[in-house]
Amino acid sequence: MSLHKLRLAAAVPLTISTFSSRLFLKPFPNTLTLGLFSRRLQQHKPLLVRAFSASATVQDIPATQTTVSSVARPQWKASIDFKWIRDNKEAVEINIKNRNSNANLDVVLELYENMVNLQKEVERLREERNNVAKKMKGKLEPSERERLVEEGKSLKESLVSMEEDLVKLKDELQHVAQSIPNMTHPDVPVGGEDSSAIRKEVGCPREFHFQIKDHLQLGKDLDLIDFDSAAEVSGSKFFYLKNEAVLLEMALLNWTLSQVMKKGYTPLTTPEIVRSSIVEKCGFQPRGDNTQVYSIDGTDQCLIGTAEIPLGGIHMDSILLESALPLKYIAFSHCFRTEAGAAGAATKGLYRVHQFSKAEMFVICRPEDSEFFHHELIQIEEDLFTSLGLHFKTLDMATADLGAPAYRKFDIEAWMPGFGRFGEISSASNCTDYQSRRLGIRYRPSEPLQTGPKKGKANLPATKFVHTLNATACAVPRMMVCLLENNQQEDGSVVIPEPLRPFMGGIELIKPKLK
Amino acid sequence: MKGKLEPSERERLVEEGKSLKESLVSMEEDLVKLKDELQHVAQSIPNMTHPDVPVGGEDSSAIRKEVGCPREFHFQIKDHLQLGKDLDLIDFDSAAEVSGSKFFYLKNEAVLLEMALLNWTLSQVMKKGYTPLTTPEIVRSSIVEKCGFQPRGDNTQVYSIDGTDQCLIGTAEIPLGGIHMDSILLESALPLKYIAFSHCFRTEAGAAGAATKGLYRVHQFSKAEMFVICRPEDSEFFHHELIQIEEDLFTSLGLHFKTLDMATADLGAPAYRKFDIEAWMPGFGRFGEISSASNCTDYQSRRLGIRYRPSEPLQTGPKKGKANLPATKFVHTLNATACAVPRMMVCLLENNQQEDGSVVIPEPLRPFMGGIELIKPKLK
Repeated sequence: MSLHKLRLAAAVPLTISTFSSRLFLKPFPNTLTLGLFSRRLQQHKPLLVRAFSASATVQDIPATQTTVSSVARPQWKASIDFKWIRDNKEAVEINIKNRNSNANLDVVLELYENMVNLQKEVERLREERNNVAKKMKGKLEPSERERLVEEGKSLKESLVSMEEDLVKLKDELQHVAQSIPNMTHPDVPVGGEDSSAIRKEVGCPREFHFQIKDHLQLGKDLDLIDFDSAAEVSGSKFFYLKNEAVLLEMALLNWTLSQVMKKGYTPLTTPEIVRSSIVEKCGFQPRGDNTQVYSIDGTDQCLIGTAEIPLGGIHMDSILLESALPLKYIAFSHCFRTEAGAAGAATKGLYRVHQFSKAEMFVICRPEDSEFFHHELIQIEEDLFTSLGLHFKTLDMATADLGAPAYRKFDIEAWMPGFGRFGEISSASNCTDYQSRRLGIRYRPSEPLQTGPKKGKANLPATKFVHTLNATACAVPRMMVCLLENNQQEDGSVVIPEPLRPFMGGIELIKPKLK
Repeated sequence: MKGKLEPSERERLVEEGKSLKESLVSMEEDLVKLKDELQHVAQSIPNMTHPDVPVGGEDSSAIRKEVGCPREFHFQIKDHLQLGKDLDLIDFDSAAEVSGSKFFYLKNEAVLLEMALLNWTLSQVMKKGYTPLTTPEIVRSSIVEKCGFQPRGDNTQVYSIDGTDQCLIGTAEIPLGGIHMDSILLESALPLKYIAFSHCFRTEAGAAGAATKGLYRVHQFSKAEMFVICRPEDSEFFHHELIQIEEDLFTSLGLHFKTLDMATADLGAPAYRKFDIEAWMPGFGRFGEISSASNCTDYQSRRLGIRYRPSEPLQTGPKKGKANLPATKFVHTLNATACAVPRMMVCLLENNQQEDGSVVIPEPLRPFMGGIELIKPKLK
């Protein structure tokens, strides 16, 4: 085999969609997704493939012309199904293109082939060495013994060297393969954000017969939100909630919890500081340039941007019983996001903040059930928002707007009259096995019933990867934008939606305070 | 030099002027350095102390009040960790993998209990005229310092954010102190009384041993904090109001506790006087601190720059001339824990357990938990 030159992948520019092109009359850019903030920022360092030495004694391994990589050993491995990728490479390639992903399939496949071949060589050499060892046990002429000893030594050296190469190759393969995005549901529209399809529309924009205020003005006039003090204390995009707004946040969370628990979801609170490896395994990039993730000084820990992360971590590196599935959680947490790279009008007030409260739903299920639960999750969201009287539309997000983990993603955008347009209030993703292959979450199928001859020694069925899904039940600041702006009255007061009143001590109205 | 001068005299004066200017520049630099140095060492002078505070170490703290008595159990009791496992309420193991030690997930009724504690506490304290708030949990490190904490010491309790001058708060007292920093308030606006919810983050560096078990010492927890800004003459009154609120809350929940007047060696630098409440925790077999109420007088306000302008006194004499505003004064600040959720949970789980393994929910909390009266073992 001739020497093979692996293609060097050039440094690729970030594919962040900028906001400058999205002016006021268009819907909010879908990069402002709650569930998938930095997944689109698939920033790669210049990808230089590692060198591995071509062993002199082994002629038919394709050696690659390479330079030393700048990449560190991955700290964890995703269980990527390389065979499947190889066998379906056209579909995978099309998928990568449709998603505007930076993943380089050719490099992955080449590395995989090399890895497989090198693996075979290593095994062949091991076998040879074993044969030599066997021979040495018998009766031999001194010269022959010496020859075998030499051969054994030489094989051992080659093996050590090749095994090192194999490790490096596997690391490299892992590194490039991790960025291959999930496959895509066949019904997902192909294209950019303008291609997203409307699945459902509920309600219509309220007609106002007076000059309306945006939520910032309402927040000031009703003494509900303080951005100014927070700017001094913490910086921009931080805020204090005051008075009825505090009660409203608690009512939203309490009510959401009670509604979702009725559907069999287990309530949880989660850590908000996690190890950065967990963040990566969920499909986020804690250390990129424009990372959405805050890191803690002097540790390998980060702040979570969504409870999805500690939720994914609960069952990592576990084998669940099939009978335990589905696991359905509703978790509350504060979320922290740097919002690096976000600028312009799409950041006003509560719409884009560094810290907020959120209730997140998370499902772990068998592969055959994930589609069902995706529809259950979006139905729960639609019911919640309909009960609150919001006007919204549910979108089936197009391929270029899916984060790497999502097989399919439904976003809900609600009407925000103060902005004069729709803004995303929730996101529901079916991540199939993308996260579970990284987090190591498997299940063991139950034994099928056997009516034939008595079972012999039990052979446990092979484990499979679960599917994971996540969906926003309530992102408090965006809900507040909707409720304040839509429910304002001419006298400056704001009507509390009926379902929330019992959770606010019966308050029906937020009234202007006498000065 | 403005007058009429002989040339030689003018020259002499010019020389004198130059020499004076050089000396001045050099001295002004020295003055700045000296002021900085003075500031640096003086900042560590602790607040003065209330005359009634016992002098000495923690054994000298005086008991102001004791409420209730330890419950007598007629069965083998469990600690909150065991109850948390058996009732599927607390998960430390998964959190250790995901985040590290001293992190946890709350599950099932424990989530409802946390929310009930916060909701109920809020409603009770609001009735006393406290304004509810939620606060940022990331703040500039300067604010942390101005409140009297040390963000950058070796054994600091404070988490810092990589690449910024920001920190995570260990208590809502910090962003509360920050709200009115560098401000002059009207006397008529005082007192300002807040009850704020936040998550709190603490490194707990240096804490080790049995006093760290389970929920007793954790890196992240929910807390409701009361904060008062008032005139100096009123701070003693509000210190007593705050401790009364705490005692009422804990009495309503059926806790057995004692209120301590902390001795001088146990006051933090900002506190003029500090009342701690320690509640009986049968699983530990001893009392554990569940709240702290400090009168910081003007220690924090002098650092945060919070002043007020006294109202004009009524004048009956001759007509007032051009109004001279009264000089501003520093306010007094106080802070007090209304509810630190994990420690409350230790108390409630351990004290309210029953022989069959269930836990009774205190009556005031039931309406906030959808009426649940009991946390029952789950069938497996």
